[in-house]
Amino acid sequence: MLPSPTRTALPPTCTRVILRGVLAILLVAPIIAQASAPLMIVAPAAPGGGWDQTARVMQRVLAATEPGASVQVDNVPGAAGTIGLSRFVQSERGNPAALLVTGLVMVSGVITNGSAFSLADATPIARLTGETEVIVVPAASPYQSMPALAEAFKANPGAVAWGGGSAGGTDDLLVRLMAEQLGLPASRVNYIAFAGGGAALAAVLGGQVTAAVSGYGEFAGQIAAGQLRALAISAPARTPGIDAPTLREAGIALDLSNWRAVVAPPGLSDAERDALTARITRMAGSAAWQQALAQNGWDDLFLAGADFRRFLLAEQARVEGLLQRLAASDTTPAARATRSITPTTLPGALLILLAAVSMVFAIGSITNRPTAPMSGAGWRSAVTLGAALLVQPLLFPVAGFIVSSTLVFAAGAHALRGRGWQPARSLTDVAMGLAFAGLLYVIFSRGLGVSLP
Amino acid sequence: MSDLWQGFAVALEPLNLLWALAGVTLGTAVGVLPGIGPALTVALLLPVTYGLDPTAALIMFAGIYYGAMYGGSTTSILLNTPGESATIVTALDGHQMARNGRAGAALATAAVGSFVAGTLATLALSLTAPIMVRLALAFGSAEYFALMAVAFVTVTTVLGGSRLGGWVSLLLGLTLGCVGIDALSGEARLTFGIPYLLDGIDPVIVAIGLFAIGETLWVASRGPELEEILPVKGSLWMTADEWARSWRPWLRGTAIGFPLGALPAGGAELPTLLSYAVEKRLARRPEEFGHGAIEGVAGPEAANNASAAGTLVPLLTLGLPTSATAAVLLAAFQQFGLQPGPLLFDHEPRLVWGVIASLYVGNLMLLVLNLPLVGLWVKLLSIPRPWLYGGILVVASLGAYSVHRSAGDLVLLAAIGIIGFGLRVVGAPVAPVMIGLILGPAAEQHLRRALSISQDDWSVFVTRPLSATLLAVAAVMLLWGLSRREPTATIKG
Repeated sequence: MLPSPTRTALPPTCTRVILRGVLAILLVAPIIAQASAPLMIVAPAAPGGGWDQTARVMQRVLAATEPGASVQVDNVPGAAGTIGLSRFVQSERGNPAALLVTGLVMVSGVITNGSAFSLADATPIARLTGETEVIVVPAASPYQSMPALAEAFKANPGAVAWGGGSAGGTDDLLVRLMAEQLGLPASRVNYIAFAGGGAALAAVLGGQVTAAVSGYGEFAGQIAAGQLRALAISAPARTPGIDAPTLREAGIALDLSNWRAVVAPPGLSDAERDALTARITRMAGSAAWQQALAQNGWDDLFLAGADFRRFLLAEQARVEGLLQRLAASDTTPAARATRSITPTTLPGALLILLAAVSMVFAIGSITNRPTAPMSGAGWRSAVTLGAALLVQPLLFPVAGFIVSSTLVFAAGAHALRGRGWQPARSLTDVAMGLAFAGLLYVIFSRGLGVSLP
Repeated sequence: MSDLWQGFAVALEPLNLLWALAGVTLGTAVGVLPGIGPALTVALLLPVTYGLDPTAALIMFAGIYYGAMYGGSTTSILLNTPGESATIVTALDGHQMARNGRAGAALATAAVGSFVAGTLATLALSLTAPIMVRLALAFGSAEYFALMAVAFVTVTTVLGGSRLGGWVSLLLGLTLGCVGIDALSGEARLTFGIPYLLDGIDPVIVAIGLFAIGETLWVASRGPELEEILPVKGSLWMTADEWARSWRPWLRGTAIGFPLGALPAGGAELPTLLSYAVEKRLARRPEEFGHGAIEGVAGPEAANNASAAGTLVPLLTLGLPTSATAAVLLAAFQQFGLQPGPLLFDHEPRLVWGVIASLYVGNLMLLVLNLPLVGLWVKLLSIPRPWLYGGILVVASLGAYSVHRSAGDLVLLAAIGIIGFGLRVVGAPVAPVMIGLILGPAAEQHLRRALSISQDDWSVFVTRPLSATLLAVAAVMLLWGLSRREPTATIKG
């Protein structure tokens, strides 16, 4: 189909292919804001996760229900959303057109990560969705019901290995709250954290762990196929479409939902807050939103206004209490599940080893130099360039991508030339850098919708 | 088999062919651009494809995934700047080949190797998915830890000429791997109260810092007398000798990549690293590794693509995402009301087999698309050296920034770059830092998880047959390695 490539010129088909690629990228680009007040929804997680999906579904539904509305999604991932939270609380203060997606995981993340900001620093708007948690065992497991598993768990807590998502996440919280309901200290739980529900699914299917806990959706396929047995769900009552009893039916007075909500920045007037709440309430009532809920398997947990504020406080108190009791029990080593390797074993050993080996190596390399010594000019070039690289992060948020990249480009070119100061040369370097950085800026921010400062 | 033919009928529908083409083209583009991976692209596209036919959308997404695997090697080879973790290993020898005037051959062996591996692995996916799944589920934490032990023993050959320097680098990498929230306990380690460090240190940023920034500083410090980068020496394409040296690594890379990709612990880092180490062990001239050995590009690139196909095994059969892209693909399935898992093949045979068949088609498209691009890419290297390195610095910072869009990443990038420069000054190899950073956290997590499940009983590692076998393999390899260790003199000037 394509002519054989030549070394001198680009075949015309090739150019067309590239053009097509560029066109495709432009097609993909989210429509850049034109309306007067574009709404920004911050997803404090990487693309693909639950918070990101919530933000993107909101974007789609708002675009469909409010003609001409412009909604942007911004991902600020990190540390259970607390990085996004602290940036949101600080940089969006008083902005009535900004929302942050949040949820149960952030409540515990704030505490375990010692975040300087909590959800109390934001303005609550509304709870939107939730996902029911499910407790499963492999089809071959001897445990046929939740009471049977609870009995075994009470008899020997360590022998029941619970698999689930990350430490401090919803799955972890559920198992520990369950333990407390059964009269066991939360710290006696043998909880095995996996990177996400997917890895936990493999572990429970392979019989590596006794039981696993996750959002119902993650296990739904296997439950339907009969490979996993759903022992209980964490909803307050039986849920249509799910053939499993609740924890309460098994005598465990507990319900927990992996809820997701949106909050606004601090410093809003009551009128601004109410307007935003009204907008989100309209969105949540739309047919498009209901359809999206069904499609993603999310429960409709819409709750706004004072009720939502009260709910948020109650959840915070519940999670905080649990984590405090856990932290307190950590101080008594006997209460902790026995571990010959603790989280601090490896870093401690590594730091000592690294220091020792580096010392020996440093002494060795002083006595017999492995590389040719550097010239004074060489050092100067390296130091100039190093300094430029260290200045870049400072300049980046203030002066923007184009200016800081031009600086680095020119410094790099100057250092590489290594012939001292030549104004004419440096000027062309700056021009080249400017052109290159400008081109990249256009491709990324306009073409791909990846905003650069 | 008849299912697969039916799948081809779906994939070869003109409209689906067009979607596949759009996908692979877009995939190649995002693979080449730094910091924009397939996961981000598919996530951005999800809302746009809402009204599309699910089969067409998924064919396009799969094309993006495969395309990014092809495109990702380009910046690694030309600019020493890996755009994603899967192509870190490619930079080791790929960029050295480019400096020696063999960029064309490096890109070609990557493209052809990706085609060979992608096609064979897709074949393996169509034929062996059910068996692979059973094998993958047999892997518990004990087995993973034993596998990591094998990996560690294998890759210590990559430590390079200066053994002590290699250990310094390895330990540095292992220590960097500990930074952040401990996955098992949720405790913060070595973060010194800095919130930025809570999520740990991204291997991609470390690779860019060590390779691209560290190298640029080093070149600058050596002054202008250092040898020029040769755009093309000899033929632009692979020579007969290079073909002869490439085909075995392609096949071995496929054999390593597919099963490891199918394991639920996932990721392309381990297969590419293992393939590199295996090629170095088996090479007739292991001393060429680190200085532009084509086997060191051919093997890992094949392993990378094969593991991408492997990732689809648990995704399609269990609904189990083992990489960031697979997780977004899962979300895509769910958006269309499809539940990947054991019942998907029964409920949606047309869709599943259509997507699988489109992978064959996509691979062929990618080969045709990428080979002509080689000539264009190589031209980049004829840019004057100061501007080329200036450009590398800008692309490197952009790549690091767009991973998480945080200026903190730029601080880390500069710091790692300076460390990389320091390591070069004292004559220590930089590759072991990456080994420590990639394998260390995985090995520790699996070890502690296994002990946690067994309630601190160390015997699990020898009582489980698969784990015991793997540990025995590691022990034999270690003894064999120690007995035939000859003094290597590979250090460069």
